[in-house]
Amino acid sequence: MKKLLIALAAVGLLALVAVLYAVGTYNGLVNGQQTVDAQWAQVQNVYQRRADLIPNLVSTVAGAANFEKSTLTEITEARASVGKVTLDASKAPADAAQLAEFEKAQGQLSSALSRLLVVSERYPDLKATGNFATLQSQLEGSENRIAVERGRFNDAALAYNASIKRVPAVFFAGIFGFKEKPYFAATTSAQTPPEVKFDFSKSTK
Amino acid sequence: MSTPLLRVFRFVALAGVALATLAPTARAAVTTPPAPTSHFNDYANYVPAERARALDARLAQFERDSSNQLVVAIFPRLPAGAALEDYTVRTAQAWGVGRKDRDNGAVLFVFVADRALRIEVGYGLEGSLTDAVAHAIIENELKPRLRAGDPGGALDAAVNAMITATRGEYLGTGRTPTGQNSSSPPARTSNTSDDSFFIVVFGIIAVIFLGISWVRNGFSFQNPYRDDDTDSTGGGWFGGSSSGGGGGGSDFSGGGGSFGGGGASGSW
Repeated sequence: MKKLLIALAAVGLLALVAVLYAVGTYNGLVNGQQTVDAQWAQVQNVYQRRADLIPNLVSTVAGAANFEKSTLTEITEARASVGKVTLDASKAPADAAQLAEFEKAQGQLSSALSRLLVVSERYPDLKATGNFATLQSQLEGSENRIAVERGRFNDAALAYNASIKRVPAVFFAGIFGFKEKPYFAATTSAQTPPEVKFDFSKSTK
Repeated sequence: MSTPLLRVFRFVALAGVALATLAPTARAAVTTPPAPTSHFNDYANYVPAERARALDARLAQFERDSSNQLVVAIFPRLPAGAALEDYTVRTAQAWGVGRKDRDNGAVLFVFVADRALRIEVGYGLEGSLTDAVAHAIIENELKPRLRAGDPGGALDAAVNAMITATRGEYLGTGRTPTGQNSSSPPARTSNTSDDSFFIVVFGIIAVIFLGISWVRNGFSFQNPYRDDDTDSTGGGWFGGSSSGGGGGGSDFSGGGGSFGGGGASGSW
């Protein structure tokens, strides 16, 4: 009789421990997911900030005498295609293809913008205007913010992805719908540096 | 169930907890320098000492007036393998410049040998110390004077410009966190998920000890914590206090402000 009691107590204790542990792990996963989602909102935020600069940039540059039309249309088109890829700002994208599409559109805009800055080197009058200098520093700031928030998104996603693969979360993460989050790829501009074709007598940066 | 066995068991449980605290988090990157203890930090002996003291006092007074934490950090050079913007934003974030609830910090970085400049602006000051303003401070205040070989004048002008730009954004409390104990001590950014995890772990350990002593005492609760079980019941699960060591005057202590890469860079 006493042995039966001991066995029952042991089983009860084990069950209690298991439940407590599962609850703690589950809450940890929820926190991790919220962190990734919050960081995703930051990423969207800084991309939006850059997109908002473009109308002003285009109108400033278009004012410069016979500025290359092709560069401007490229930017306007890239800006429009960015607007078409709408992802839920409050939830990090669940599937990698969605994120890749988003990145592709934003990458086109990035390269169009960097081309515009290169082309603008040929227009001293444009560069001399205070408005353009301001816009340029804002663009640089936006690009830097994007790099920072993307890096932090990847960090948050890495921590979360690791947490759902650890024991014991790995046993029930799938059941409760905790799925792996895709990462941002390394910046495309880092792989294909923009073509710079102007005189070497003056160096930028 | 002898006492030595219980000791071994307890040791194993505590070792497990200790191991769990060493969670892998840091991304492989150049480590950030230790947090500064003043507002104006000339690690490169670049600015005349008298000027540096005056600027430090001005920045400390500005924090008392406005609660904005403006910090200047002059390093001999960028560490090998560090990219300027990545290094500065991580450093500013690690130092926690600015108050946690306002993110009202900004750091002016100077790397003397690299001739590199960077103004890193916290989220809460991005509206007043915009990228364009930071760019203008670098172009108009710092570059010409640094080129002319007047680091003291350059930093003086830059500090003035940063103060002018951020004045009026927030109201100060008349003190700095370390100068006198402020009403809201700086709080460390602690991971709530870790906390709940540890609460569960400690809970489990407590339950196990309870169970064991229960069994040992013949299924009766006489005094489960008769032997010194303080380590499984002691407090302090919610992350310790972290306000940096005290000290008077213009000493600096980060309030936990966050940075998102706002600001501007330049070189002279």
